[in-house]
Amino acid sequence: MSLNVRFINPFIGAACYVLEAEVGAEIERGPVRLEKSGTTSKAITVALGVTGAIRGAVFYSLSEETARSIVSEMMGEPVPIFDGLAESAIGELGNVITGMATTNLEAEGFNCNISPPTLVIGKGVYISTLDFHRLIMPIHTQFGELEINVALKGDGSSG
Amino acid sequence: MNKILVVDDAEFMRLRYRKLLSAEGFEIVEAGNGQEAVHAYEKERPDLVLMDITMPVMDGLEALKQIRALDGGARVVMSSALGQQRVVLSAIKEGAKDFLVKPFKPENVLDTVRKHLA
Repeated sequence: MSLNVRFINPFIGAACYVLEAEVGAEIERGPVRLEKSGTTSKAITVALGVTGAIRGAVFYSLSEETARSIVSEMMGEPVPIFDGLAESAIGELGNVITGMATTNLEAEGFNCNISPPTLVIGKGVYISTLDFHRLIMPIHTQFGELEINVALKGDGSSG
Repeated sequence: MNKILVVDDAEFMRLRYRKLLSAEGFEIVEAGNGQEAVHAYEKERPDLVLMDITMPVMDGLEALKQIRALDGGARVVMSSALGQQRVVLSAIKEGAKDFLVKPFKPENVLDTVRKHLA
């Protein structure tokens, strides 16, 4: 598990930096927890694949209200409906956080690449990362809560 | 009026570039992936390309190669969330003029664009 924790820190650092830079988020971190089973989603989930020295998936889960608040701030105007442009904005946020996290991972000696983001829209969708255990870090902001789920394995890691 | 081709799979990013750059008097052309970017470059012959890297269909590094093969003088600035040294180096090696790492401030985008159009 120690190696897994090493994997989540670059994501937490990136999420805090990007949320502060993009929307001026005031951030309070919750405790990291480990889950071995699947999960049911919040209303909006942004998922990205990671390949290379570290493999697996990362996803960011948030309520629609939180997503709309964040996207409104990103766009500089109210977003009353979570439409295609809002989907694009929240997907981009996940992309930028994950991209920066992989840059942080490179500094730790892990070269990896990421996929374009995929959005899962709908509350209560069952998401399984199979035998990749998830490390979960809740991040509280003035816009609401965002949960970072990291399900990654490196060479020689038991997950 | 200088013409800029903005290439990003995120509609939100294309809108953000369009708002920022058209307010400064640039003409904007958009593409949603690398393949569209190559076609748009051939058709529009823009003065500068702002190109994302991680995109479906064709990524930005491949599009950079193809655009540089079409026009050895093409001015392409990469703009990506991937800031790893090896990614930046491979883009520069393929002929990218500059590299903007997301998240970036609007003034950084404008400074970079102006520098390469000067």
